Formats: sequence, structure tokens, C-alpha cells
Amino acid sequence: MSSRRSRQTSGSSNISDDQIKDLVSKLQQLLPEIRHTRTDKVSSAKVLQETCNYIRSLHREVDDLSERLSELLATTDTAQAALIRNLLLQ
Amino acid sequence: MASLESIINAPEPSTNNPETTSPDADSNPNKRRKIGHRTVAADASLNHLHWTSQSEQQIYSTNLLRTLRHVLRRNPSPSTTASKPRQVRYAADRVLAAAAKGRTRWSRAILSSPPPFNNRRMLHKKAPAARKKVTGLRSMRNGMEKKKLPAVERKTRVLSRLVPGCRKLSFPNLLEEATDYISALEMQVRAMTALAELLAGGGSPSGLAGESLS
Repeated sequence: MSSRRSRQTSGSSNISDDQIKDLVSKLQQLLPEIRHTRTDKVSSAKVLQETCNYIRSLHREVDDLSERLSELLATTDTAQAALIRNLLLQ
Repeated sequence: MASLESIINAPEPSTNNPETTSPDADSNPNKRRKIGHRTVAADASLNHLHWTSQSEQQIYSTNLLRTLRHVLRRNPSPSTTASKPRQVRYAADRVLAAAAKGRTRWSRAILSSPPPFNNRRMLHKKAPAARKKVTGLRSMRNGMEKKKLPAVERKTRVLSRLVPGCRKLSFPNLLEEATDYISALEMQVRAMTALAELLAGGGSPSGLAGESLS
């Protein structure tokens, strides 16, 4: 943490461009669309766009899964649930 | 470790974590900035990778199943409580946020947001209207020009709305939060998918057990 402080020498912005570039590339590694593209070929705007799209699609997936789970859990009885819990704990 | 009750019941900001910002601290911009910078620590980069571990996913699945069975067993009055899928989503998000152990802003924001309500809320409709008015004035000041912010800034704004609790975060902090949030969401999808497969007739329960053994 102290090393980070010593880097903040400029008065206007406390964040270096390298730091931002590093964060953007880390984010890019997570994105399925542009994961393998070289970082200098991908603009920050594209990374941000893909990030937004990806988060939205993940939200949609979670919503769909929630719907599936709500239906499945309504029909499962307690004995089965106990069995599942044991399987999960293995 | 968050208890079952704390996840299900009305939200209260977690007090166990020393790094957690209370609502009062958040209102003070100086304090908020300092704490925001502190959370962009070196070990934040390790944090987002821990969502890929098998044990993390198993812990999440267990907690999620326990929470969901508890939530869905109650017979709520359909007029005041939200639909079942929305309750499931809400519980899944809260268990996920609890798994973050208060280290990230998005998780704290999720844990302090109220449960879904069935009634048509005015609050939701007011906010976009208010925002529209402001941008209208701004474009008039520029001589009726079309509002053309730089692309990066526009997308940053959209991103800050997608990640919970990050609307007023600085750019690097927002990126850190987004990175962790995406990893967490991926784990959530993996865990819920596995759970759904398991419940849908136990096609291959060995599939899940096999994963844990390898």
C-alpha cells in the first residue's frame, strides 16, 4: 500500500495510466469475446462495452436459473433435499 | 461467516468487517474516497480469482440451497411478496454477496438493499424522469447540441449502473469492482446451473461429486 502512495506524485490525478491499462487488461482476460486478442489492439471503449454486455448476459442467465430453481425446488421434497445436501458436502 | 438469518432478514450493514463503510461514512466524500482507495489494494487482484475455486463454489451451493429451502418454504401472502423467481434471485445474490465477506463494494451494496416488493414502486419511475430533466438543461446550455460525451465516459456510466453500489466510484475502483463482480457472477451461474442439473432428476450426481474429487 505504501508503494502505491509513493507512485501518486502528480497532483491532478492520483491514478497512473499504467495502472488503468493494467486494470483494463485484467478485465479483458475475463471477457469471453476478446479474451485472446492482443491488448494493444483492443480499445478501452471496446473492453467497457464488452464488459457491460457480459454483465447483462450474466444477469439474464442468473434470472433464468432463478426461474428454473424456483420451479424445481417447489417440487422437491425434504428427503431428496437432504440427499442433495450430502452430495454437495462430499 | 454470515448467518442464515442475516441473509434472509431485513438488511443491515455488516458491522463485523473493519473495512466496511457504514452509510454515515459514505455520506462524507473525503472518507469515502480514502476507503475507496484502500480497497484497491494489492490483494484485490487475488480476490477475484478465488471465485474460481471449487471449494468456494461448493460452499456457495450449500448455503444457497439452505437459504432457498428456507425462503420458499414460507407461505408468503402473494400480494406483498415478489414472485418466486425474483425471491430466488434476491436470495442467490445475497448469498453471493455474503461469500465476498464484505471486501467489495458491490457485495456490501447488495447486502444493504431491501427485499423485492410486489407493488409498483414510484421510486423506480421517478429516477429516470429526474435524470432526463437534467440532461435536457445541459444540452440547452451547449447551444442545443446533441449530448456527445466521449465513448469511454458513456460506457463507464453504463457500467457503473450495472455493478451494484458503484455509481459514484472512481474509474480504477470501478474496474476493480467490475472484475470481481464478473468473477463472482460466473461462479454464481456455475453453482446454480449445477444445482439445477442436480435437482432436475439427478441425471448424474456423480458429475458433481466427481468434480469435487478431482
